[in-house]
Amino acid sequence: MNTHPHERPRILVHDPTLRDGHHAVGHQLDADQLDADQLRAYATAANAAAVPVIEVGHGNGLGASSLQIGRSKLDDATMLTTVREALTSSRMGVFMAPGWGTSDDLEAAVHHGADIVRIAAHCTEADVTERHLGVVRDLGAEAQGVLLMSHMAGPGELAEQCALLVKFGAQAVGIMDSAGHYLPSGVTERVHAIADAVDVPVIFHGHNNLGLAVANSLAAVDAGASVIDATARGFGAGAGNTQLEVLVAVLERRGAETGIGLREVLAAADVAADRLMKAPPSIDSIAVASGLAGVFSGFKRPVLQTARTEGVDPIDLFLALGERQVVAGQEDLIGVVARHIKAAAR
Amino acid sequence: MAADEQRLRVAVLGAGLIGVDLTDKIHQSQKLELALVAGHDRDSLGLRRAAEMGHPTTAGGIHAVLDAGPFDVVFDATNADSHAEHWAALRPTGTPLIDLTPTGHGTVIVPGVNSHGSAAHRHVNLVSCGGQAAIPILYAISEHCTPTYIEVVSTGASASAGRATRLNLDQYIATTSAAIRTFTGTRDVKVMVNLSPARPAPPFRVTMTVLAGSFRAAPVRTSIAAAAQAVRAYTPGFKVTSLAVDPGRISVAVEVTASGGRLPPHAGSVDIINAAAVLIAEQSRRREPHP
Repeated sequence: MNTHPHERPRILVHDPTLRDGHHAVGHQLDADQLDADQLRAYATAANAAAVPVIEVGHGNGLGASSLQIGRSKLDDATMLTTVREALTSSRMGVFMAPGWGTSDDLEAAVHHGADIVRIAAHCTEADVTERHLGVVRDLGAEAQGVLLMSHMAGPGELAEQCALLVKFGAQAVGIMDSAGHYLPSGVTERVHAIADAVDVPVIFHGHNNLGLAVANSLAAVDAGASVIDATARGFGAGAGNTQLEVLVAVLERRGAETGIGLREVLAAADVAADRLMKAPPSIDSIAVASGLAGVFSGFKRPVLQTARTEGVDPIDLFLALGERQVVAGQEDLIGVVARHIKAAAR
Repeated sequence: MAADEQRLRVAVLGAGLIGVDLTDKIHQSQKLELALVAGHDRDSLGLRRAAEMGHPTTAGGIHAVLDAGPFDVVFDATNADSHAEHWAALRPTGTPLIDLTPTGHGTVIVPGVNSHGSAAHRHVNLVSCGGQAAIPILYAISEHCTPTYIEVVSTGASASAGRATRLNLDQYIATTSAAIRTFTGTRDVKVMVNLSPARPAPPFRVTMTVLAGSFRAAPVRTSIAAAAQAVRAYTPGFKVTSLAVDPGRISVAVEVTASGGRLPPHAGSVDIINAAAVLIAEQSRRREPHP
């Protein structure tokens, strides 16, 4: 029996495999680098599966290539041009956080064919997006606003912040579970609050640190979200994202229409597994600690590296970073906190 | 009273987070007299506070400053977009303007690096809080090597960034990058900004990474320590919290904790740029009386 008010709600699946996945390969710093051929191969497969939006770029978005966060092998223009050429029906998305990227990056991205531009801010900082959401609207692209590290704020505050994003021009707004910290009930209450506060589509972006990304995404749909992020095989930061092909299958069982072909999206996920990654993301012990501590999933690789060089337990390091409430972009604190742990142990 | 004992008459444009602390700092200065604080909203906290401290205030913005002039120095603590209008209005009057917004116009001044002779400039720009924290250190490093790449990441507490700062992040990045290029001679510069919602609010932190061919580690360390000491002379809460000098790569992190005044400790970003502004104003010359 289906008690949901809409028999077949339309869910728009937004696929950041070629953006969030970059975290999993250290922004292409090591052997399993994403190159243009890999981007083209996956974009072609996802386009064939009618995935509505393919997002591409550095893991932290436009302009974020840096020593602090990780340098990209390919520049933003090359990534965008490559994916654009592969898309015939899917739209191309990009992501940018003010302070990492600037309006110049937005102009270049739209020039290179970005249809949807997401402007991101940490969960309580929506007002840094005012200028950039305006720029995106002026450029004629679809503007979306997303709040990072959203578990650090409650439903009321997130609803207020999302209402601000809408006021600044966002045509869809929502939350990212950057740390993979949510339980389904936390998603339900937050998405409900946001959906009540705004009259634009609500976005949810999950991570799988606690094994709940698909369940959390389903909770978001039931609470009123209609834009759900998911990546092929879950390729993404830390334990990875909501797994695209699983989400599509689950939504099909749930009776929610996505417009994505199941066979084709399974094939696209196989392309991703073959071409993009050495091994699909898994929930290792580090990922669980990161999710529990509420630390940005993208910290996994730099934390492991620092833990090795400083000789500290990476789980201790994640828990200590959680106590400091670090957010993405503060990678420079990983070494500082590691040295504190070392000094305290002496 | 001898002329050199007279205080310089100054005005502050802007009554946001920067303007409020600037008011406090000028209030404490032995060399400056705060003759007007100009905002746009009569009920703003900044204007009310300045009035409580006994300073004249106005909600009439730049026009009120022109009417109440002449001043020896005007501080612009508004936003980058308004600054051009303020400079255009003040320029014909000959009043020196110290710009705390990240426009990058005017002569860029960083105390200890090039503040000597800043009194000669009518239009001074203070880069950004991140620039004020990073440039003394980067300048010291660049005296010992030729950097091929410089990266600067500033993290400020959410509560220390007002609306103008948030609207001006692009200008902040552009202006800070340009100033770093100028002072270090390095073309390849990357500047990033984070605002942290963590509670309790963390101190203002600026991390610098310099890639350079060859240099000797010991003199680099000595120069960085000396530069930090020089900044502490006007911003006591400035300190180097980590320093790694490795072959080809120098990494420095500084933190600025606001000390004294009414600023909360996390507002080191406001403290350092305002301390620089007041220091530069104190070095200004008095205007010739109008004939």
